[in-house]
Amino acid sequence: MKEREKESIKDQEDRSLSIQYCPTCAQYIFYPRALCPHCWQGVPEWKESSGRGKVYTYTVVRKSYLPEFASRVPYIYALVELAEGIRLPSNIIDCPVEQIRIGMQVELAWVQGDFGFIPVFRRIEV
Amino acid sequence: MTIRGRTAISGMAELKPLIDAGGRSSMELLAEVAALAIEDAGLKKSDIDGLLLTPPAEGNGFMWPAQMAEYLKMSPSYINMVELGGASACAAATRAALGVAAGLCKHCLCLSGGIWDPQVFNDQEGKTAVMSKAEMEYELPYGPMGFNSAYAWIAQRHMYEFGTTPEQMAKIAVDQRQNALANPEALFNEQALSIEDVLNSPLIVDPIHRLEIVRPCSGAAAVIVSSSEIAADMPQLPVFLLGMGEACSHNSIVYSDNITLSPVKDSARRAFAMAGQGPGDMDLLSLYDCYPITVIITIEDAGFCPKGEGGGWVESRDLTYRGPLPLNTHGGQLSFGQPSYAGGMSHLTEAVRQLRGQAGKRQIKNHRLAFVNGNGGVMSTQSSLILGRDRA
Repeated sequence: MKEREKESIKDQEDRSLSIQYCPTCAQYIFYPRALCPHCWQGVPEWKESSGRGKVYTYTVVRKSYLPEFASRVPYIYALVELAEGIRLPSNIIDCPVEQIRIGMQVELAWVQGDFGFIPVFRRIEV
Repeated sequence: MTIRGRTAISGMAELKPLIDAGGRSSMELLAEVAALAIEDAGLKKSDIDGLLLTPPAEGNGFMWPAQMAEYLKMSPSYINMVELGGASACAAATRAALGVAAGLCKHCLCLSGGIWDPQVFNDQEGKTAVMSKAEMEYELPYGPMGFNSAYAWIAQRHMYEFGTTPEQMAKIAVDQRQNALANPEALFNEQALSIEDVLNSPLIVDPIHRLEIVRPCSGAAAVIVSSSEIAADMPQLPVFLLGMGEACSHNSIVYSDNITLSPVKDSARRAFAMAGQGPGDMDLLSLYDCYPITVIITIEDAGFCPKGEGGGWVESRDLTYRGPLPLNTHGGQLSFGQPSYAGGMSHLTEAVRQLRGQAGKRQIKNHRLAFVNGNGGVMSTQSSLILGRDRA
């Protein structure tokens, strides 16, 4: 696992997600960087994310050439906007593909995938 | 000092796109099209002293400009590779204009294209070959489908924000196919399409159907940029480079602040400002079309209609060569094919053909000014051009 990735999901054991924050310009940062990309001044710190967000956009993948995903179709590949304002590419789990909608409230979950232990999102029942 | 109108496209050539290059190499295709372009321009090989390339479609890209110059046995005074994805070809024309206007070269050849390798894009090795480190780390674990899923994200959000419909997006593929029926060089030019045909083709990544996705193929294209004074005495009617504008706001669409608003807003504004023209002055739209949503967003952000109204705009108009403001009269990449980076040059070569009055059956009536847009990545890099038949 890459150093940066290790750091960004270092809290996987207790199922939380850390994201970068710039103390100089008070903005969140994704993906992780050594220098704040917003102001070029601050050295990013790590903060625990609320893990809450909503679906900013999505697609349902009906056909995948990636061998790891070919048997999983159809699946939801989404861009989730966290309450902190940053957007993360992810999957929405436990949601039938017919029910996925932009604006849907979601919360953090962790799953073991072919590429490691990764943060995904689950629909919040309301 | 502006470079508005100081240079012109004095020569061009394009090979017919083919699915299978029949065992030929990318370098062979590029050499063939280079020879055709200098013939079109009435030049000799020794007249060409500038060489700009888009990236290679296959093989080792290290020192690519020198590899190609060596293959062509050239010793240019101005040489480079332009890598802005699908915007590379338009951006090469801009850089050619800069080199010529600055006196670094006299006739600059811009070369693009190559063979289609089915391996590329179609397996994980191919997918990851075009991914950044950030994409590999933060996108790949979730099963993206390359450009398909990224543009699907944009289309889905555009439908949500503005009420754009699947029928409106399909209309672009339908009208462009009508254009392709009048283009013997197009890859798909035998059968008309209906909106139902497009919407009944398999859904690949919601809301994008198979007939709304470009077909990669083999081919090549070239343009030659010369000074306007010299071009005026050359055999072809010069097509003047009146406006140029570029913009870039991200690489992966994940990092665009607003995925339904593209940097075309800036590139087009810059190009129109240089040309002293506006959207209402244009006679032809030649817009990068990897998917219909790309065209809708480009039309909106270049100012041809208010933001969010692109769907209704394309729905209510005849976009074919018979219409009031024709779009992608060669068929666009959706019907002409996408021969590697030369897919992005096809919008430029078609605009040159139309402005010269050489488009045959699909020749448009008014052909004074064209807006050409190259788009790279996922609405990431933009290169907009205003081309004109008159220098001023």
